[in-house]
Amino acid sequence: MTKEIKKRDFTFEHELVPQHTILSKKELEELLARHRIKSYQLPSIRASDPAVLAIDAKPGDVLKIVRRSSTAGEVVIYRNVVED
Amino acid sequence: MAAAEETYKIVDSIKFSLLSPNEIRKLSTVEIQTADTYDEDGVPIVAGLMDGRLGTLEPRQKCRTCGNTAMSCPGHFGHIELAEPVIHVSFVKLLHRLLSVICRNCGRILLSDDKIKEYEETIKDVKTRLNTVPESLYKKILKHAKKTMECPHCGTQQYPIELVKPTSFHEAVEGGAPKIPPSAIRERLERISDDDLKLLGIDSQAARPEWMILQVLPVPPVSVRPSITLESGIRSEDDLTHKLVDIIRINQKLGEALESGVPINIIQELHELLQYHVTTYFDNEVSGLPPARHRSGRALKTICQRLKGKEGRFRGNLSGKRVDFSARTVISPDLNLDINEVGVPIELASRLTIPEKVTEWNLEEMRQLIRNGPDQYPGALYIVRTDGRRIRLEFVPERESIAEGLQPTFVVERHIRDGDIVLFNRQPSLHRMSIMAHSVRVLPHKTFRLNPCVCPPYNADFDGDEMNLHVPQGEEARTEARLLMQVQDQILSPRYGGPIIGAIRDLLSSAFLLTAKGTYLTREQVGRLVTAAGYSGELPPPDVKGSNPLWSGKAVFSLFIPAGMNFTSKSNLCNVFKCPVCKKEKCPHDSYIVIKDGVLKQGVVDKNSIGAEKSESLFHTIIKDYGPTTARGFLNSIAKLLDRFIMLKGFTYGFDELAVSEEVKDKIRKATEKAEERVDELIESYKKGTLDRLAGQTLDESLEIYIMNELSKVRDLAGEYADKYFPADNNGIIMARAGARGSMLNIGQMTACLGQQSIRGKRILRGYRDRTLPFFEPNDAGAEARGFVYSSYRDGLNPIEFFFHAIGGREGLVDTAVRTQQSGYMQRRLVNALEHLRVEYDGTVRDSTGNIIQFRYGEDGVDTAKSDHGKAVNTERLVDRVRLFSEKGTPASKKYVESKMNSIADKLNPSLVAELRRHLSEAKLTRKAVDQAIDLTIEGYVRALIEPGEAAGIVSAQSIGEPGTQMTLRTFHFAGVKEQNVTLGLPRLIEIVDARKIPSTPTMTVYLDKKHRTKREYAEDVANAITYTTLEDICESVVSDMGRMKVMAKLNANTMKIRGITLQEVRDALKPPNCQVKIDRYDVEVTSKEMEIPQFKRFTTRLRQFRIKGAPSVRKALVLEDKGEWIIRTEGSGLGYALEIPKVDRTRTVSNNVHEVAGVLGIEAARNVIMKEAIGVLEEQGLDVDIRHVMLVADMMTNSGVVLQVGRHGISGEKTSTLAKAAFEITIPTIVDASVKGTKDMLRGVAENVIVGRQIPMGTGLIDVYMSMPEEEASK
Repeated sequence: MTKEIKKRDFTFEHELVPQHTILSKKELEELLARHRIKSYQLPSIRASDPAVLAIDAKPGDVLKIVRRSSTAGEVVIYRNVVED
Repeated sequence: MAAAEETYKIVDSIKFSLLSPNEIRKLSTVEIQTADTYDEDGVPIVAGLMDGRLGTLEPRQKCRTCGNTAMSCPGHFGHIELAEPVIHVSFVKLLHRLLSVICRNCGRILLSDDKIKEYEETIKDVKTRLNTVPESLYKKILKHAKKTMECPHCGTQQYPIELVKPTSFHEAVEGGAPKIPPSAIRERLERISDDDLKLLGIDSQAARPEWMILQVLPVPPVSVRPSITLESGIRSEDDLTHKLVDIIRINQKLGEALESGVPINIIQELHELLQYHVTTYFDNEVSGLPPARHRSGRALKTICQRLKGKEGRFRGNLSGKRVDFSARTVISPDLNLDINEVGVPIELASRLTIPEKVTEWNLEEMRQLIRNGPDQYPGALYIVRTDGRRIRLEFVPERESIAEGLQPTFVVERHIRDGDIVLFNRQPSLHRMSIMAHSVRVLPHKTFRLNPCVCPPYNADFDGDEMNLHVPQGEEARTEARLLMQVQDQILSPRYGGPIIGAIRDLLSSAFLLTAKGTYLTREQVGRLVTAAGYSGELPPPDVKGSNPLWSGKAVFSLFIPAGMNFTSKSNLCNVFKCPVCKKEKCPHDSYIVIKDGVLKQGVVDKNSIGAEKSESLFHTIIKDYGPTTARGFLNSIAKLLDRFIMLKGFTYGFDELAVSEEVKDKIRKATEKAEERVDELIESYKKGTLDRLAGQTLDESLEIYIMNELSKVRDLAGEYADKYFPADNNGIIMARAGARGSMLNIGQMTACLGQQSIRGKRILRGYRDRTLPFFEPNDAGAEARGFVYSSYRDGLNPIEFFFHAIGGREGLVDTAVRTQQSGYMQRRLVNALEHLRVEYDGTVRDSTGNIIQFRYGEDGVDTAKSDHGKAVNTERLVDRVRLFSEKGTPASKKYVESKMNSIADKLNPSLVAELRRHLSEAKLTRKAVDQAIDLTIEGYVRALIEPGEAAGIVSAQSIGEPGTQMTLRTFHFAGVKEQNVTLGLPRLIEIVDARKIPSTPTMTVYLDKKHRTKREYAEDVANAITYTTLEDICESVVSDMGRMKVMAKLNANTMKIRGITLQEVRDALKPPNCQVKIDRYDVEVTSKEMEIPQFKRFTTRLRQFRIKGAPSVRKALVLEDKGEWIIRTEGSGLGYALEIPKVDRTRTVSNNVHEVAGVLGIEAARNVIMKEAIGVLEEQGLDVDIRHVMLVADMMTNSGVVLQVGRHGISGEKTSTLAKAAFEITIPTIVDASVKGTKDMLRGVAENVIVGRQIPMGTGLIDVYMSMPEEEASK
């Protein structure tokens, strides 16, 4: 599947897709400090993932993802963008 | 043992690498030169395979190398100098790769200096960013270098290297492919530089490639290959020794041949033979080689076979070991035992021991035990003195003096006795409640006894089941067992947060009878029951006063309900009556339970109140509100109470209770006759062709479905008649209603009509040609001919029915056998994939290397085992309780509640806040009560949070794997619509965790957008647009004209209309490459430019299959109504395509294909689909599994950004630990790979630590206790 098709089919409005945003540098540092980790220890997301393409994130970025959760209502998780 | 333990070391990490020839020589104590083992006197031959320097096996012989006896001699390696180098089979693939990418002349990697530099930098860069180098990068480099055919460094021409399996390499030079001898390969490999190896992922410190060609062969010590002396006195050697004998013989011959200069072909032959022997010495299952055999014809078990598989070293001896201090026998029930207890036969109790330290205070007691000795029950088996000497009391004739000599600090290994803690286990150990701690009750007779309420977690019954018992020996082990593993602390299952222990079978019948309306007991009866149950208080005032006072069963039951308890719920009867509207307190069946202030006011107590595996029951509420100790007491006493009561009353289900009157029989007969008529009618209309075809089904299938519907009605009806006929005091009915055993369906089958026998959910169709048995007419589709059983079990089956019943019964048996296997393997994979996950102190769930899997366990941090059926706090009940106990007063204002709620929003999670807010605003509490409710909620929430160190992964894996055995294997099920079959049950669950690329029944649910969802026509348009349509589908005929190279097709106007395709669409779509297309009305003419016949034929078939519209894998699309809107369910899926169709709701349309969703909507959406699908399967099967467990599996599967399988090609394959991977499935390649890369196993996971025998870094194993020493002692 080419990038263009991926971008076209993808929509953040879909109920299965949570909101993805790129984390600012400061926030990232805070996150890493909070858990005392390096960014490679975060869950990953591929650079070719349609959600990543949609917000133009690049490898090295960390995404903030706000999931709707059946247990907690709303929950924030992070994913590290990696190349395929 | 104590003495030996003083000098021990802890394995910190294990590094894998290869032995170089020099290391092998250095390690060796002796060079083996003769193939012989022992001489005539049985003395090992010097420099032979059993040389004394290799270690000793004789008990009282000292090792000639280390001087130790057999007990403590570790064994010493020897070596064999090979006359010619030989290839090690395990490295063949790697050698092939290496030879293909290095220069045959200069040994440099076949990449230019620039490229080398570039790759070096990428590796460095990736390593800093990802901490590891992905295998794919090395593969890329390899591929690149392999393509180069001229060395960039010395300009030598390269030739492809061919691997001729199993172990020879050939170089494809011009005019032939000569074999490269191992010695030449070795020379080439020696030339490779260390830096070049790095580009290939090889650590030259750990593994120089030339070491993969053997010059020296290590000979394992004798302890690895002990010879056994048979009773007849004949020595029998180990398989490895046999193999080594072969190797030495051939090696000697080869050596001699080389020296004496025999012809080259003989030398080659010998060399190949040596290669064969060395190869099979390592691995006797190499493809392409006949396995080496023993004289008897049995294949030899050589090194690889010793390591691999279930009984191999890793799984059989390292991950699981045989233990002492254990016992096994048959189990039987005993209600008089506490649920925390286990009855141990006295014979076993006097063989199992616990070491007890002698102190001043127990000195006399211990002396008595020693006097009693090993055979008289409270006795002892051993004394361990302070110097470490053990005295075995069995061999002491005069124990009195020994008893006198007993001193404090000695240790006595005494018999286990009442109150000792032991572990009790029943296999298969599918979840943590399969091993629980019980306290011992030494009893006469020969079986283990346990309270039947504890059967559900063990999945035990008493038809001959055996169970195991283990006695923990250490003080810490016993303490942990008592604090964490005791039965009363395991009542709540972490699978769904409800009790898994509770009343079963007769106890439920008894409870039903006791608490039914109209059960009254005399003073004497009450006295007996209540004393048996251990009640020792005042009796309540009698319900019927007078000279002969009577107490109701409810009043007696109430004595054991915790004082002051309030509770309402529905009983199991509600599942029978299924009232449309619940009348609650005014229930006519007395099935609405009300407990007020600790008294059972109304309702019958049955499975729904005190049964095992029932959430939100009376018993569950008692545990949650009063704690496990009270709950245990409650269960113990009611179990005894109910047991006595049912004995008092008597309970049996007799043959006469299954009889129905002639009247009812007649009714049933009439009903069956009627059904038969209808079936005949259906068959008639089928034959005439007037039968309506169901959408998506063939006519035959439709007929089957109609008939099955008709016949299933008969059975239901027959059951219903029987149900109505039997009085409420029929014991079968009582059991079914109480939930003790059996269902109304079972009773119907016994009394009225057995119903349809089936194979794979269909009627029985197989057997002879066109008929099931020879005395039916061919193609008889009637009820009787296809396995419908009119008779009941009571009346007996006629021979034909009996045969069909046997068919159905056999399928059931096969089904269970297959299912246990499949679910067992799924469980093993799940556990292996998740075992190393644990909750950290910051609340995250991480794997053993510290990678975050979840930022909060279950997204809310709540431990399911501590939750109330999945919720941290049951706010509804909490608010209710607060309301009952608080003083009356003016309700707090809405504003107050609001502000209070806002102030605590950060202490709870959003969904809990919303729930509490809702209940608080409904309850109208006073300010004080509101505060109290909020405080209690926060307290309950904090208490329900998961603790750091919890082995969250294992718990989740077990929670999903354990119910696997209970799932049906019947693959297909109607998914809402009769027309559509979707794989469900265990096969679907396995498919999900397998992350199959394409599920066996891919399907989409397509929703329409707001404007279009109300009209069927729109849905049909969309359905047409999605359905895959080829040219052939819309044509009346397609004719190919070979002569003119033309294909003529005639479109079918009617089908086009049905499929919603216009001519214009055909014109737009039909544009095959290299063709001319002419469309004139409904005539299509395609001229191909291909001129040859074979190509043209292929072209024609391709043209028939040419896509006009639709998503390629969507075969069918059904339009149906769901909750007031029109939706489309498809067979086959193409989500990307579906989302592009106008009118489709892009926000809700989903596919069940995880990979497809990952591609179109991203990894996060894929995670949601995995969860949704897995929960869907579990729910459909009626299995209660908490969402957090499914969530963890889904998070683990999607952690890397792509969907990984739970298994060796996915999560388990990505594990960092070599040992964990080797213990799972692909043992040998994993170890080979690790040695080549020089991997260091840091031993942070579970499997690794089990293997090396360290404490497991989870739960209590995570904690060390440190003690600061007083200063002067520290300075010493």
